[in-house]
Amino acid sequence: MVSATNSPVLYHSPNNRPLHSPNSLNNNQPLIPYRSLVSAATLPSELIIYIFKFITSPADLKSCIFVCKSWCHCGVELLWHKPIFTGNGSLIKLLYTLSRPNQTFQYSLLIRRLNFSFLGENISDQILQRLSSCERLERLTLCGCKKLTDNALENLLKRARNLVALDVADIEGLTDNVAELVGEHCRRMQGLNMSLCKRITDKGVRAVASNCRNLRRIKLNSCIHVTDESIIVLAENCPYLLELDLTECNQITDKSIQLVLENCSQLRELRLGGCVKLTDEAFTETMPSCFDQLRILDLTNCNLLTDVSIQAITSSASKLRVLILAKCSLITDKGVYSIANIGKYLHYLHLGHCSRITDYSITHLTRHCTRLRYLDLARCTQLTDVSVFDMAHLPEIRRIGLVKCGNITDQAIYALIDSRVVDRRLERVHLSYCINISIGAVLELINACPRLIHLSLTGVPAFQRPDLQQFGRPPPKDYSQHQRQMFCVFSGKGVRELRHHLNGLDNTMGNRYSSRMGVNAIGADGRRNFDIDIEGTGYDISEGDNDGDIGEVDGYGEQN
Amino acid sequence: MSASEAKKITLKSCDDIEFKVDIRVASRSILLKNMIEDVGETDQSIPLPNVNERVLKKVLEWCEHHKDDPQPAIEDSDTRRRNTEIDDWNKKFLEVEQDMLFEIILAANYLDIKQLLDIGCKTVANMIKGKTPEQIRETFNIQNDFTPEEEEQIRKENEWAEDR
Repeated sequence: MVSATNSPVLYHSPNNRPLHSPNSLNNNQPLIPYRSLVSAATLPSELIIYIFKFITSPADLKSCIFVCKSWCHCGVELLWHKPIFTGNGSLIKLLYTLSRPNQTFQYSLLIRRLNFSFLGENISDQILQRLSSCERLERLTLCGCKKLTDNALENLLKRARNLVALDVADIEGLTDNVAELVGEHCRRMQGLNMSLCKRITDKGVRAVASNCRNLRRIKLNSCIHVTDESIIVLAENCPYLLELDLTECNQITDKSIQLVLENCSQLRELRLGGCVKLTDEAFTETMPSCFDQLRILDLTNCNLLTDVSIQAITSSASKLRVLILAKCSLITDKGVYSIANIGKYLHYLHLGHCSRITDYSITHLTRHCTRLRYLDLARCTQLTDVSVFDMAHLPEIRRIGLVKCGNITDQAIYALIDSRVVDRRLERVHLSYCINISIGAVLELINACPRLIHLSLTGVPAFQRPDLQQFGRPPPKDYSQHQRQMFCVFSGKGVRELRHHLNGLDNTMGNRYSSRMGVNAIGADGRRNFDIDIEGTGYDISEGDNDGDIGEVDGYGEQN
Repeated sequence: MSASEAKKITLKSCDDIEFKVDIRVASRSILLKNMIEDVGETDQSIPLPNVNERVLKKVLEWCEHHKDDPQPAIEDSDTRRRNTEIDDWNKKFLEVEQDMLFEIILAANYLDIKQLLDIGCKTVANMIKGKTPEQIRETFNIQNDFTPEEEEQIRKENEWAEDR
């Protein structure tokens, strides 16, 4: 039965309630009269707030707060919930309001979320100290506010009992004191990012792990002092962990990872890149038989791992979406065969530097993992055009990485072009050091792929021409003269300019480039050189080349 | 069409007017949908003490038109807020007197019809956009209950939120 007290169900959190009850109709009161008194001024405050949430411009919201008192309550609450600063100036004005006596509202208690990451080094300890009265703060993002020290956070953390997310990534000055304050006072903590806080040790992590049992996400990327000792406490105390990032924590061994896999059965994302001590035992001993909630696994450079690990991982984490095995150089075709068992769930696969892999397993992979969007096979030097022929049938493929796959020829590029499936979606193609690639094939590729936004051709002899390189990105500053000469990466506008330029050249030269016969003629004029020792060039451009690609998939945004 | 789709239930407005409607139509309201699922088949009418005949009729018109829509996906509230577009049918549907608009919003909230609530609130939000406080007061017939001193203080306190 319905009763009049069945109060409206709204989907904003109860935290959004005004601190003082506004002059509005009590929403439990039934609207009995038929010619009702309903109007904008008498709407329940929940609904006024709900309407205000559809107002996207802060200026409009600001107009609302001057309309009447009941609107003011609602509007101010929204305006202060997550203050958006246009710059330092507006932050200073906000601090001034907080320091005023006799405020109309207790503004400091309205602030639930603060994000200072874009103000970076403008944020000082003093500023944070003046925000210590924000007792109801729930999310605080300070990543990149490099000037901060432990002093900034002491008073704030002592009072912020509702804090559920804290991002202090890349603040090198912070020490275990901050982590201990979190453990002591912020017991509801769910998401903690201390990546690149290089002074953090087991002491700090232990304090958090043993007190914050609701922890969902913890990022300790490059916290190089962290060892098994504190990660074991984490695994034992935080069963709800969804994300764990231990990238470059190179003291970590099988012992703690076994416990993580055994206890944290909800884990969705596990990043262990650069944990070079890990062996097959990490995954073969305690991995539960079903771990199918795991979506992202990064094992970059865990170069002791063999096919045995891959088999154990893929049979239990059977719904992996992202798998990064770059530089796991012991992996062979057998490992790739087990990866193929993940089938359509797999969207992103990085096998760069797994140079034992051959066409044989890539063919198998592309037949099973048909939803692959990103496939990186940089330096899988045994691969030939055959692998690319198979990749050309992947309907979702957006990014193909073939850096230093020296056997690749124009035929591979033509296969991509001729596959009507691929060309519409292709966004990024990495062909650096694929020394056999010709201008003609690239011209056809960029004409056929309207979405192409990135094309790397560093070290491809046909492209070592100033008239083409002029459209490329400038080489990284720390490159040597030789590296600068070889550098050839087109992105965004550069791709369009290259397309325009090459088409112009092609026209004036009687379609020399765009006819496939013509290409072969160029190939024959001696510019191809199969004997270049690609390993002997002494440097590897594929890393810089791949910048940002992994980040695109991981999409680690605000923690919800 | 399966048998269950043709089944009807009776709703009774607060002013005692009964409406016989398709279960599929009534199920646009999550409140009613859950109730029907809980109670099962019933010949008794369901009283809706918060909704009068005039409003219920209008709300049911909306439900009838949207009865075949897919249930909205659970999207995050930010996405929903960014999209302030309202399609033509809904725009026309909401071209009503202001008190009716607010009644519809209240009813959609009570009956838990998320899409109707959203377009209703979007419509009001669109009426606010670009207006000065005084223009907003005129639009919605709201009395300014601030003293000049109060208004000035609030202005100072919120100066940090710059007018863009």
